[in-house]
Amino acid sequence: MRRDLAHINEQLLIERLALGDPAAKEWLYDKYAGALYSIALQLVVTETKAADVIVRVYNWAFHHIGSFHTSGHHSLFTWLMRKTREYAIQEMIPDSALTGAELIKQEEGILQKFYLLLPTDQQQVFRLSFFKGLSVATIARIMAQPDEQINETLKEAMRSFRQYLKSNWN
Amino acid sequence: MELKFYIESGIIESYVLGLATEEEVYELQHMRRLYPELDTEIDIVERRLERAAFDESPLPPMELKDRVLQRVRWENGNAYTEPDPGSNYTFINIHPQDKNHILVHKWWKIFFIIFFIMSKVFLFLAIFYYLKYRQTQENHSSLHPVFQQEQVTAS
Repeated sequence: MRRDLAHINEQLLIERLALGDPAAKEWLYDKYAGALYSIALQLVVTETKAADVIVRVYNWAFHHIGSFHTSGHHSLFTWLMRKTREYAIQEMIPDSALTGAELIKQEEGILQKFYLLLPTDQQQVFRLSFFKGLSVATIARIMAQPDEQINETLKEAMRSFRQYLKSNWN
Repeated sequence: MELKFYIESGIIESYVLGLATEEEVYELQHMRRLYPELDTEIDIVERRLERAAFDESPLPPMELKDRVLQRVRWENGNAYTEPDPGSNYTFINIHPQDKNHILVHKWWKIFFIIFFIMSKVFLFLAIFYYLKYRQTQENHSSLHPVFQQEQVTAS
């Protein structure tokens, strides 16, 4: 990590990124790449795919840093994480090539750990929603349940996620 | 009370993870305008998630940094030098979005221009000296008949 940027605050970093400062870009990589790579690994099956996702995310971030303030996010990390998920879902190997075991085998990463703590019905909905990027309507069709039921199950999972974060990282 | 219930519903977590529907996002933006303190709660949730992700983060592969920053280096040329030495090589990158084009370092342009000019210079010199050689040969044989006779005698 660049020594001159070691204690830079996020606002100043965003300003320097908007100016195209290469040191700021390197700092953005050094600070968040590990955590984002972990998120990508939880979403895609292979390390190669996860690396491809990270390259796309940073390339996007360097060119769209100006949109951060209108994104509704407060931290650069969650802004980048959201894009990481979006790209990871695009890069994902099609369902036909997966047995479903790959995700369950992976027990590393905060989201995988949380997923494993959920009751079975919430696990299924959360997996299809977060890890697969499917809409509530699609999940409802797959699980042969009404949309309202899926929505309620997902909300339950989100309430659990809130408690999970609060109890471990408050 | 309404706000507390709203926050406890996990809507912020859903929004941050990108799972909220369009209607839920719209409602959240509306609530943010009504209750500015909601922004503080969003900030808290985002920082919480950030800390959680940092706790679990593995080291990404070494070459990933080069892949991410190579475009930055190209765009900045010599103005930016990588603090970590050992990256003194030329990238030829196949652009992932377009398989019909490749991206090369801008110095290749200068190299090709010099190569083109030098090839023209050498071609010109080759023709010039060839013609000069031919002319010398012709002059030599026409201006010195004795030399011609000597050649005939010798053969």
